[in-house]
Amino acid sequence: MQKKFIGIALTICIFLFAGLVGLANSSSKLIIYHWWTAGGEKEAIDSVFNKFNQKYPDIEIVENPIAGGGGGIMRAQIKTMIMAGQSPDTFQLTYGTGMIGSFAEVLDPIDDLWKDFPVPAMVKKMGTIKNHQYGIPLNIMRNNCLWYNKAIIDKLGIAMPLETLYDFYIACEKVKNAGYIPYAVGAGGGQKFWWVHIAEQFLLGLPHGGPEYITKLYGGKADPANDPAIRELLEALRRLVVNKYINSDYAALTWDQAADLLMTNKAAFYQMGDWAKGHFTSAGWKPKVDFDYQPSPGTSGYFTLHLDCFVLPKGAPHRDAAIKWLKFLKTVEAETAFCPIKGATPPRLDAPIDMYDAISKDILNSFRNPKTKIVQSAWAQPPEAWLDVYGDMLSAFVIDPDVEKGVKDFASAYKRVFGFK
Amino acid sequence: MRDIYKLKRIVPVFIFILPAVSLVIIFVYIFSGWSAWASLTNWRGIGHFGEFAGLNNYIKLFTQDPIFKQCLINTIELALVFIGITIPLGLVIAILLDLGIKGKSIFRAVYLLPLSFSFVVSAAIWTWMFAPTNGAINTLLRILNLDVLTQPWITSTKQSLFCIALVYIWQFQVFATLVYYAGISGVSPNLSEAAQIDGASTFQKYWYIIVPLQKPATLTVLTILLMYTLRVFDLVWLMTGGGPGYSSEVLATYMYRVTFNQNLFAYGASIGFFMFVLSILIIIPFFSTVMRRSK
Repeated sequence: MQKKFIGIALTICIFLFAGLVGLANSSSKLIIYHWWTAGGEKEAIDSVFNKFNQKYPDIEIVENPIAGGGGGIMRAQIKTMIMAGQSPDTFQLTYGTGMIGSFAEVLDPIDDLWKDFPVPAMVKKMGTIKNHQYGIPLNIMRNNCLWYNKAIIDKLGIAMPLETLYDFYIACEKVKNAGYIPYAVGAGGGQKFWWVHIAEQFLLGLPHGGPEYITKLYGGKADPANDPAIRELLEALRRLVVNKYINSDYAALTWDQAADLLMTNKAAFYQMGDWAKGHFTSAGWKPKVDFDYQPSPGTSGYFTLHLDCFVLPKGAPHRDAAIKWLKFLKTVEAETAFCPIKGATPPRLDAPIDMYDAISKDILNSFRNPKTKIVQSAWAQPPEAWLDVYGDMLSAFVIDPDVEKGVKDFASAYKRVFGFK
Repeated sequence: MRDIYKLKRIVPVFIFILPAVSLVIIFVYIFSGWSAWASLTNWRGIGHFGEFAGLNNYIKLFTQDPIFKQCLINTIELALVFIGITIPLGLVIAILLDLGIKGKSIFRAVYLLPLSFSFVVSAAIWTWMFAPTNGAINTLLRILNLDVLTQPWITSTKQSLFCIALVYIWQFQVFATLVYYAGISGVSPNLSEAAQIDGASTFQKYWYIIVPLQKPATLTVLTILLMYTLRVFDLVWLMTGGGPGYSSEVLATYMYRVTFNQNLFAYGASIGFFMFVLSILIIIPFFSTVMRRSK
């Protein structure tokens, strides 16, 4: 009797175990990694998940959001997983030659999925590595946006937009004299790379900078030790720091905490990509009423951008589900579920724009304007190391803004990114 | 016959320790060896291992990398402050506990609390405490009209490392106290009684008898804290990310960033192997002392 009972129990256990193993390996899962956790972006990706689940109710999304480091923490995690043979089904990457190039060897090309995907040719080109496509972009982000608190700017009578960096510094002086923080920065909590972002927009608006120089710089073809643009950039950053136009606690704040300085009427200006709009609106701030934006000073007619995409790693355990996910992401439905909430621009040229607010419409029109000069940002064109190496270099520079030393450090960092042997 | 009896005793011992020893061999020694090999290559980026490059990474590390030097100095500074304060503090508190201060049980519960916090929680609490604008410490100082004492804390290049050391001290002095308390409790009561009969004061009893007997405890705490300092990562990463500038960057955070953010896997492995060698150098005196004692 006892033997019979043990036999039955064992059989049940074996079936249960087999069932669990089967469940774990079933194709009804989608293991996905991304770094959207802040206000606006979290709601945006949740909206896409909802739409995807409506279309594929049998696929269970196993979401792994990993915050921090502008995606750096998540990318590090993904690298260890891939090297350990534990690839997820899909993960987020910034879309561009450098970033995708850093991962291309462990990704499967998805050229077939790119058929019937009406995005601008330039977008397709910036994600092409050795004639192959590896990612489906979900949203376009404009980086050269200067956000401002309308109440403070109106109160101080500052005429917007600020056309040049010279106008910008005059405005900063006025704001400072009125007792506000002129320029909010949040480069703490391991987010030193925001100095890279700030430097990029300055460089774009400087006389020797501009789109061509940035493309050359990010392509590894510049000579920072002798290029006047680098000296100009460091002078511009020095001016920002020495004149105390930035908040003194910038090294203790993250990007969203720095954005909050605008919302609490403590700071007037904030340099951040258009994802900041999602953060503002998710906290109840109204575009054009409480806050507004302009292209960063001196960058009118330019559009620094990067895109977020999802990729297909080699050895994805639920490949079919991953392909369904990628196919879904290229639809108008997915872009429309995501972009308005996140405050981003849809890559598809046929995506409707009527549901976007005035600021997004302006950004979208600027992107689709053939006269606009598009520049890939530091998240897209240079190798992945750029963000970390220059985040370090520039954050050290703003502490000790010695331009001579800064030029040397800039050149040595350049060697580390492009010439490390 | 005797040999069979001996064998019967030894075999189960080997079987029992085999899983633990295998894990240590695989995950410590084999992977350390693998890491040492990786450090001799030019491995960059995921997907390909790279080719043999000799000692190139080490030469670069010691002769051409000012950030590495800064990280080494920061790690040593952190160790000096952290260990230099934690050990005496742990000893003093252990003595106070041994003396049977009033409200000992409440004190012990409150005092032991930091040990139960994860580093993530500690980092979140202390980052908020040290925030220069609206952090708890500066806010309290302002309320008390002591504005002149407010500090930039973790946003200052001169204070960031000290702030991190302070949090490590807060969390680890509990460990030091526990080790010392166990050590003090283990001192034979005969010695204390003899000292009292000889007319020694409480201070003299501790200073001349109990504290000198704590050498093994000190060696244990010192070795463990030193080894921990070498691989300090969590609080640095969470509180300052190594900043501002490189002011709080330590060897472990630099190794991580070089490897995973800059994709210089071989170069990162050389930093890791250097840390491994340092750990070995630290642990050798500990083991040689322990072995000498056991003999």
